[in-house]
Amino acid sequence: MTEPMDVGAAAPASASAASADLGILAEQLLGVVQSVEGVSSVYPAQPLWQSIAGAVLSVVTGDTPALITLTDEAGVLAVKTRIAVGTSRPAPAVAREVAEAVRRHLLPRPAAVDVSVVKVGV
Amino acid sequence: MNTSDTLECGHSLAELSAYLDTGQIADPVHVETCPECQAGLASLRHLSELGRELLSSDVAEAGSGTDDWMQSILDNLRLELRPGRSIPLQSGNPQDTLWETEGSISALIRSVADALPGTAAGKCRLHGDVTTPGADITVEVEIAVVYGHPMEERAAALRQELAETLAVQTELTIQAINITVTDVLEPPHPASPADATTEEQP
Repeated sequence: MTEPMDVGAAAPASASAASADLGILAEQLLGVVQSVEGVSSVYPAQPLWQSIAGAVLSVVTGDTPALITLTDEAGVLAVKTRIAVGTSRPAPAVAREVAEAVRRHLLPRPAAVDVSVVKVGV
Repeated sequence: MNTSDTLECGHSLAELSAYLDTGQIADPVHVETCPECQAGLASLRHLSELGRELLSSDVAEAGSGTDDWMQSILDNLRLELRPGRSIPLQSGNPQDTLWETEGSISALIRSVADALPGTAAGKCRLHGDVTTPGADITVEVEIAVVYGHPMEERAAALRQELAETLAVQTELTIQAINITVTDVLEPPHPASPADATTEEQP
């Protein structure tokens, strides 16, 4: 089981700077995922029902939960995303393209990409 | 709480149905971002449309004896709107893991069946070990068909459509697609007394 990335262990000078960097990176990766042809939507990477606190917070604040999660696994950046794919392209090919696009964006940083297709079609 | 009516995300089909009717729900942000809820809403919308079709043709008043068909569909929806098993996909890099959820494929199968006029999907199941690449998988689909739509042609067309769709959208090894028409929603018989006395019963 992985834990959310420990920003203090991510090397940047301060935790806040690291957190900001990760936030920016997650935002960039969201754009990368959304730009892949065939991706029709990106869902929260962690289903809300798996996090009661997150679900409650979302209800109270109306904030959208994180669509891309980043975790540090022994120096490898693990990226997780859940996507919906339209029927214009094969879902397996779209999933592969998403993983490759994310990996390409992160180069030369080592990465492991987890892509779940949770919806196929309109 | 009736847990059999509750999706893994915590919402029930009754809540989603009320949301469709009223636009009101406690956590709209969740509904907009939950694939299970979105799939549920899509299926409920289709059932609603089919219901209108039935009403417009007075089939609903026919007393066809199949009033349980929609309940059966809802029972299956409750089961199939869950994410289910994770179906592995081939990845281009050994560090990556790619999946399709069983729920996404069940919903896809349902949408293909629902797209046929006068048809509503009931049970949609993937039998076999979908978590093992290359394992033999059998697809089981039950449908309800409104009277007037030819059943054999409908089943053959659906089988062909599903085979093509699943070949493109999954990496499953489909061995068979079994389609069963479980309900035919019949139109009303003529209501005149003469008909009532001379009509032969099957």
